[in-house]
Amino acid sequence: MTNKPDDSAPQGEAPAKPAASDSLHIGTDEWVAQHTDRQEARRGAVAMLAVVRNRLPAPVLWGVPLILLLLFPMMANGYLLRVGVNLGLFLMLSLGLNVVVGYAGLLDLGYVAFYGFGAYSYALLSSNQFGVHLPTWIAVPLVVIASAVLGLLVSLPSRRLLGDYLAIVTLFFGEVFLEFLSAGDTISVPWAKEPVNVTGGANGIVSVDGWSLFGFEFKTNTPYFYLLVVTCFALTFGLYRISRSRVGRAWRAVGDDALAAEAMAIPVKRLKLLAFVVGAVIAGLTGTIFAGVQLGVYPTSFDMPLLILLYAAVILGGSGSLAGAILGGAVMSLLPEVLRQPEIGEALFFVVLVIGVFKVMGAKRGAIMAAATFVVGLVINAILALSKVPHLATDDWAQSTVGHVIGPWLFVPADRMLWGNIGFVVLIVAIATINRIPRRVRALFIPLLLWLAIFVWMVRLSPEASLTRQMVIGGVLIVFMIARPQGIFGKQRVDIV
Amino acid sequence: MNYLTQQLVNGLTLGSVYALIALGYTLIYGVLQLLNFAHGDVYMVGSFAGYFTMIGLGGPQNPMVPIWVMILLMFLAGMVVSGGLGVMIEKFAYRPLRSSPRITSLISALGVSLFLESAVLLLFGPKIRNYDTTDYIPIGTGIHIGGVTIEPMRILLIVISAVLMVVLILVVNKTRLGRGMRAVAYDSDAAVMMGVDVNRVIMLTFLIASALAGAAGVMVGLVYFTINNYMGFLAGLKAFAAAVVGGIGSIPGAVLGGLLIGFLESLAAGYLSPNFANVITFAALIAVMLVKPRGLLGRSAIVKV
Amino acid sequence: MRSFKIVSGLTAATCVALALSACAGGSTGSTTAAAASNSASPASSSSDAASSASAASSTPAESGAAKECTGSVGFMGPITGGAASIGAEQLNFTQLAVDNFNTKSGSTYKVVQGDTQLDPGQASTIGQQFVSNSAIFGVVGPAGSPGVDAVGPPFGKADMAFISASATATKLSDGSYPTFFRTIPNDSVQGPTDADFISGTLGAKKVVIVEEKTSYGEGVATSVKDALVKNGVSVTVVRVSKDQPDYSAIVTSVANDTDVVFVTFQIAANSQVLATQLKQQGKKAVVFGSDGSFSEDFKTPGSYVSSFAPDINGIPADAEIIKQYDAKYGAFGTTYGPPIYVAAQALVEAAQRACEAGSITRADVLAQVKQTKIENALTGGTMSFTAKGDVEGAKFYVFKINESGKPVFVK
Repeated sequence: MTNKPDDSAPQGEAPAKPAASDSLHIGTDEWVAQHTDRQEARRGAVAMLAVVRNRLPAPVLWGVPLILLLLFPMMANGYLLRVGVNLGLFLMLSLGLNVVVGYAGLLDLGYVAFYGFGAYSYALLSSNQFGVHLPTWIAVPLVVIASAVLGLLVSLPSRRLLGDYLAIVTLFFGEVFLEFLSAGDTISVPWAKEPVNVTGGANGIVSVDGWSLFGFEFKTNTPYFYLLVVTCFALTFGLYRISRSRVGRAWRAVGDDALAAEAMAIPVKRLKLLAFVVGAVIAGLTGTIFAGVQLGVYPTSFDMPLLILLYAAVILGGSGSLAGAILGGAVMSLLPEVLRQPEIGEALFFVVLVIGVFKVMGAKRGAIMAAATFVVGLVINAILALSKVPHLATDDWAQSTVGHVIGPWLFVPADRMLWGNIGFVVLIVAIATINRIPRRVRALFIPLLLWLAIFVWMVRLSPEASLTRQMVIGGVLIVFMIARPQGIFGKQRVDIV
Repeated sequence: MNYLTQQLVNGLTLGSVYALIALGYTLIYGVLQLLNFAHGDVYMVGSFAGYFTMIGLGGPQNPMVPIWVMILLMFLAGMVVSGGLGVMIEKFAYRPLRSSPRITSLISALGVSLFLESAVLLLFGPKIRNYDTTDYIPIGTGIHIGGVTIEPMRILLIVISAVLMVVLILVVNKTRLGRGMRAVAYDSDAAVMMGVDVNRVIMLTFLIASALAGAAGVMVGLVYFTINNYMGFLAGLKAFAAAVVGGIGSIPGAVLGGLLIGFLESLAAGYLSPNFANVITFAALIAVMLVKPRGLLGRSAIVKV
Repeated sequence: MRSFKIVSGLTAATCVALALSACAGGSTGSTTAAAASNSASPASSSSDAASSASAASSTPAESGAAKECTGSVGFMGPITGGAASIGAEQLNFTQLAVDNFNTKSGSTYKVVQGDTQLDPGQASTIGQQFVSNSAIFGVVGPAGSPGVDAVGPPFGKADMAFISASATATKLSDGSYPTFFRTIPNDSVQGPTDADFISGTLGAKKVVIVEEKTSYGEGVATSVKDALVKNGVSVTVVRVSKDQPDYSAIVTSVANDTDVVFVTFQIAANSQVLATQLKQQGKKAVVFGSDGSFSEDFKTPGSYVSSFAPDINGIPADAEIIKQYDAKYGAFGTTYGPPIYVAAQALVEAAQRACEAGSITRADVLAQVKQTKIENALTGGTMSFTAKGDVEGAKFYVFKINESGKPVFVK
């Protein structure tokens, strides 16, 4: 715990200048708490990002991305456009979750249910399910209001609950909602003989009407993309203003320490409800757009994996930071998409490996390690080739450019699955035990480890791209949390006892 | 009457599984205030360890190994592998985060969960494995009263979770380790000053909790036959629910919560509507939480500031 | 200062990477020698692959005249997630079919993975990805009917043929998706066959249908239920969640005088659990599984199971393919392999024909897929598509599971 203020720290290039004098809370001395931030602020890639963010004049910071975004649909193919639309949806969701989790500190595990509620409500109001086809400008506000009411209904009884107890109740709510979606196609009602089909069960509701505003029909993904650009910017701007307002400050006070906030006469319960409802409204609105993009709604879209990714995005970016929610959202939305393609996955793997080695070991030792790894590969090649172990030629296994480049260097056994699995297990064990090896000798093992990592990736993980994708996301979450627990733009907290 | 009794037996069995997993959950939570979302996956790995031990011993057809020895070895393997895995997870994924905000370790736990699920899928393939319990414990053995049947494995499961609960309570209340656990749970900083080896206590907590999950994994295989790499997430979720509803941190609470969920599920499916069984179960649990916000057996903690 | 270090580190890294690749390129001479000396050893494996491929392709293959073509098959299915046991297997079978065809024809077709996790939302993103990838001439999948709903319109617009091997909802082939094909009969074929067998041959009066709350389960259950009710059988539908670990509560609620329990799980292992629990609780009802249960995982003696193929194990080509599969990917458990193998086969053969006639465009491949005629297909007999994309002359067959747990053809 660093509770000794570092007076000598010059404020020179520290970007946190305005924030420092912003407000002082009882309980957490922000200035002291920011000590590490100020130190961090002067180094590292993250700091460069922060400097860029703070140095650029606002019109450039907002204008350039906006222009790029407006031009994007003209340059992108259908896939990229859809990825862009997905990104927009995800960003809205992560911004909303950031209000609930980041600002008010409420662990809401039923958040995705509001997203689903928005999508399904919109689908019910504009599809053939009940033959209702409301115009978008009526349906969407209705759904948003309904989401707010639902948010209130869920949060009102839970206002007594704290921390993990709120988490579990909202989790139950999410599960109830999901189960209701898949069971809700046979609901017996007293006034009808046959059970009523409300949610369409596992088949969902298909042929939902797309959006249509002011006589303009949203027929392709392009208008949705523009719509999402507008909503994302509006949302970011709105949340920015809110976070600077009384409510925003009060939210953060509640999130930091509800008890202290209450002592400061902040209406804690009302603020919590408000945060919850704001989150629900944003999620509900996003749901209506999703239903329009997808032209159908299905229960599987609102399941746990999405919730996990959203939480990861908010925490990764830095809980309570707008820029963090956006950056984290972008990472968690695009990373799974990028990793779909094994070629990109391979390239990414090597980039990360090289940067990692050089970052950890420094330029000189890093270069030595790289060279040593190269030699290790050649030696292994020679040994195994001489001992006549059956292997595959490059053309038989290499799928990508990376594969062809390192093909002759990497020894690939005939039974890739078996050896890949063995390599995988050995690699995990090796990573787990490398710290036990004395420092001096460790350097000898690192090239072997690097070779093994490359071997496992190329032989086993890359061909199983879909599986590897999930594994890498899991790994990224662990490693990132350890490397930077407060998130990219998060502020480290130091409690003064 | 028979119908009700049989449904209660079903609920008791299912509840015992949740209780076994929830015990580990609540133990870890009690000591570290950590929501270990990877606990369900530790349970899954234990189940796989038990399965491959059985296959390695030549399966139930191998006359060289008596059935009870085999089952014992399966339990041993499941508990050892899961226990070891739990200790590893604690060391690499949670220990570096101990002083960080709690939500950070929650994300890390989710990462571990994703990683384990995919790693098992990678190593063992997508095929659903079957313990084939009925090959070595023939259908028809067990207790039959009227029309009610209790399979031997179900009896074993119920007995094991009852025994483990009692043992765990004794460990926590009577042993040196238990005292350490309580001390760390109460205030880990103060515990350090009092000479408690916090790292060791936490490591042992993870070992015990994960070994319990491993035992539960093998048990589930024996009672419900099929296992797959994704079985852990939902079971973990239900166990988490059980632990919280019972009063998180309370050992009898975890068992009570587990049994409650088990009974709710089977009675809702048996009497109300199988279609809405899960909806009913979760709705009932929400009601319980609203009436008793700290769980059934949870104490309301008063923190002086 | 720090940033300078990073930049310089990166530059150094790039240089090293370049040097490495150059070295690798330069050292090809030395390492290819090793590769050449070893090229004899994989020959053994490739030769038996070739022999088995020729065994598999009892169709008259003009392998001599084959033209070397290239392109990609898109695969859509739940490779990860709760239904991974289906999707991963489908992917492996697709890969196997394409590999075998490549060995046979000398072409180099590839498989591009698209993991839908059985979520139509992801399916439509992947659909866009495949449409935008110009190398992809056709798609195998998606696995579920909602997925077909999600990708049908964009694929239709792009003339992209897509052949599913497990989407059985009847309405899919009503003409709304002109590029949709499937290698399995739809629910409207399975329902009446199974229902007639249950009420006729088995003479059941009381039937419980255990409906899995998935698109597949709902479709089959509804179609069987309608047919049974028409035959005057009393039917109770019990719906279970797809992630249910335990069916004992449902088993207990099955009345003792029930004759048949019809199960619609898409994973056969679940049917096995339910059947075993029925026996454990002393219920006399016979279990009847839909085609999702046709697998070695469902092995309760005395049970019945239906399938779209007269006898998968009796087809010699199948045994060969299954052997290859086991050698390459380890054991498999579901019944979804053979139909997706046929789907992939139909697609690459269509591509090959299109290629030999000119070039592989999506429209050409689509036209060729419509002409598909696979003799001795893995799903039995000769496989071709109707104008609406269904299997020509689709029929369902019923099997009884014998004492050793193997299905035996009944009707």
